[in-house]
Amino acid sequence: MFYINAASTLSHQPSFMNPGFSASLVPLSGEEMMQPVAYKDYIEGNLLRRMSRILRMGVVCAKECLKTDHNLEKLIQPDAILVGTGLGCLADTEKFLNTYLTVEGMLPPTSFIQSTHNTIAGQISLTLGNHSYNMTHTQNSLSFEHAMLDGMVGLTEGKGDLLVGGADEKIELLDTVAEAFDFSEFPLSTGVSFFRLSSRKNEETLGRVADVEVVTGVQDPEKALHEFLSGNNCAPSDISKIFYQAPRHDYLMKNKSGMPGEWINSIAFSGLYATASAFAFHMALDEMSRAKDHCKILIYNHLNPNNLGLVLLESVEA
Amino acid sequence: MANDVFVTGLGVISSIGTGVEANWDALAGGISGITKSSVYGLDEGFPVGEVKLNNQQLCENFDITISPVSRTTLLGVAAAKEAWGNQQVIPGIRTGVIAATSVGGMDQSERFYSQWLKGDASEMGLLACHDSGISAEIIAGRLGISGYVTTLSTACSSGANAILLGARLIRSGRLDRVVVGGMDALCRFTIQGFNSLMIYDKEWCRPFDAGRAGLNLGEGAGFLLLENEKSMQMSGTVPYGLFGGGANAADAYHQTASSPDGKGATLAMAEALQKAGLQPSDIDYVNAHGTGTQNNDLSESAALKNIFGEKIPAFSSTKGYTGHTLAAAGAVEAVFAMLCLKNSAVLPNINFRKPIEETGLVPVTEWQSMPVRAILSNSFGFGGNNTALVFTRL
Repeated sequence: MFYINAASTLSHQPSFMNPGFSASLVPLSGEEMMQPVAYKDYIEGNLLRRMSRILRMGVVCAKECLKTDHNLEKLIQPDAILVGTGLGCLADTEKFLNTYLTVEGMLPPTSFIQSTHNTIAGQISLTLGNHSYNMTHTQNSLSFEHAMLDGMVGLTEGKGDLLVGGADEKIELLDTVAEAFDFSEFPLSTGVSFFRLSSRKNEETLGRVADVEVVTGVQDPEKALHEFLSGNNCAPSDISKIFYQAPRHDYLMKNKSGMPGEWINSIAFSGLYATASAFAFHMALDEMSRAKDHCKILIYNHLNPNNLGLVLLESVEA
Repeated sequence: MANDVFVTGLGVISSIGTGVEANWDALAGGISGITKSSVYGLDEGFPVGEVKLNNQQLCENFDITISPVSRTTLLGVAAAKEAWGNQQVIPGIRTGVIAATSVGGMDQSERFYSQWLKGDASEMGLLACHDSGISAEIIAGRLGISGYVTTLSTACSSGANAILLGARLIRSGRLDRVVVGGMDALCRFTIQGFNSLMIYDKEWCRPFDAGRAGLNLGEGAGFLLLENEKSMQMSGTVPYGLFGGGANAADAYHQTASSPDGKGATLAMAEALQKAGLQPSDIDYVNAHGTGTQNNDLSESAALKNIFGEKIPAFSSTKGYTGHTLAAAGAVEAVFAMLCLKNSAVLPNINFRKPIEETGLVPVTEWQSMPVRAILSNSFGFGGNNTALVFTRL
């Protein structure tokens, strides 16, 4: 069994340290600031000054997921750190591009160092002094699902608590690109989510991951969905809600796929970024942990028309 | 055994040649692919291991018509096609692709960005190549594979991690066979990046030599086909050898530098041996990470001593041949390791003259024919990402 025993998200919504946040979400207009966070409570001053935004966000969410007794001094050491990121550390990538394309002579290396996709997972291992398996998946819209699957394989290999997350950051250039290629009707945004995955349930368990499926080169999403459900002994009517990810408002006109549950485009709430399904994952768990009855929620990620991600979440008895 | 992971296909493209045979011939002939400067218009004064085909030639030779396309993708398609060979998608054999890259289509992104800085947005379409996952999707499409397709990006250990993850997915029963590997094209971004860290040697790199002064970058791709027994029986492939075991461990010391005691590397090697069910004395040859930087080679030497004590097996770095091919390195070197197993030979560490004073380790300096039953292959990356893989003879 794959249980989620902690979750933490920094976003443009009031998602951070705010259980129940999913009940009062309104769609993003694109004007909202990132939710403020007291970084200095999590990261020592010298380190903090050098760290880029996405690294800070990653470390904060990671620590929130690993604390015990509400104490940041008592962190669980995970048996693996798994991060999905679609476009990696974009701000530092752009900064280093700017540096070597415009500056002559010796260049400062910091932005190069922090541009690497695995800087987030690496920084978390450094901060925790953690020597375990450390992996970064980057498969555009499915990066988070792949990190989660890697973690689930890790649990079947006998690992204990694992840290799994999704992280992507927006830079201004992306707005220009989105406009030029008309790829989104939703505001682009930044978001970081981390989760503690474990094979053991406890009193803080938010829900369980029944299964994850990733399909690149998907021909028939409807068929893939129904095969996934039947493979998990689940009828379409068992699913109360479907949090889906699609870049357009009218996506559902042709895609309800015989699923009677409520379809909710989570991109309206999270904004668009490559690992936005991680936000939906947190939203779904938040709903589940408040629900009175047993329920199943599906995350249906079709952000990239070539790729389909399916995650089946199930509530657990307290 | 049901749990065995067989290596049944190999593909490689690097500065020493296109294809497995050409690479092996260059290794045997002691011919390096590193040239004093770039033929394809990269920054002057940096020795590089370039693949000796331009993008147009790569497109023609490997029948690639996609546009825009990054050089990273072109190299990946070349090696993955060779590893896949004449295989077909077979119903009932769950097949996946795991690719690795450190900077993906940066060769195209930097082309766009330099125009963009001048106020010219006309090449924005090139940014489609910036998504590091696109190469894996194009490779999967070319091989006719759909379903499980992912890309790992852990800097210089990425290629080794793709192999490790592929083997784990087969052992866990999620896949029956998987095309695994890594690719990276040379670009100004990485050349300038490593130069900013002051670890780019303006001379030919000298791994494990006392006078080493940094790395030379290279480019290329390496891919392997991994299969379980059921898949092998159905596809009719002949194995080169076995994936014995592997492990990844974090050094947790510094964002770019390796710890002086080689902690992460030691953990990775120890766990890889344990997973393979082998003792250190079972290893006949180590293909070291050996980049030629002061820091890596000293740290790796310390780790080798931690694992092997005074009985260090034959070891060498092949980066003097190919340059450091970043995310491709672990996979290119895994291909070399499989060829060493098959041909009963170990590879020389070119440019070695004098051992590092602190450790005194002397790598293999001449081509040697000898029985090789088990090989350890190391790959270490930024973020303290350390991976060790063990390959064994059947």
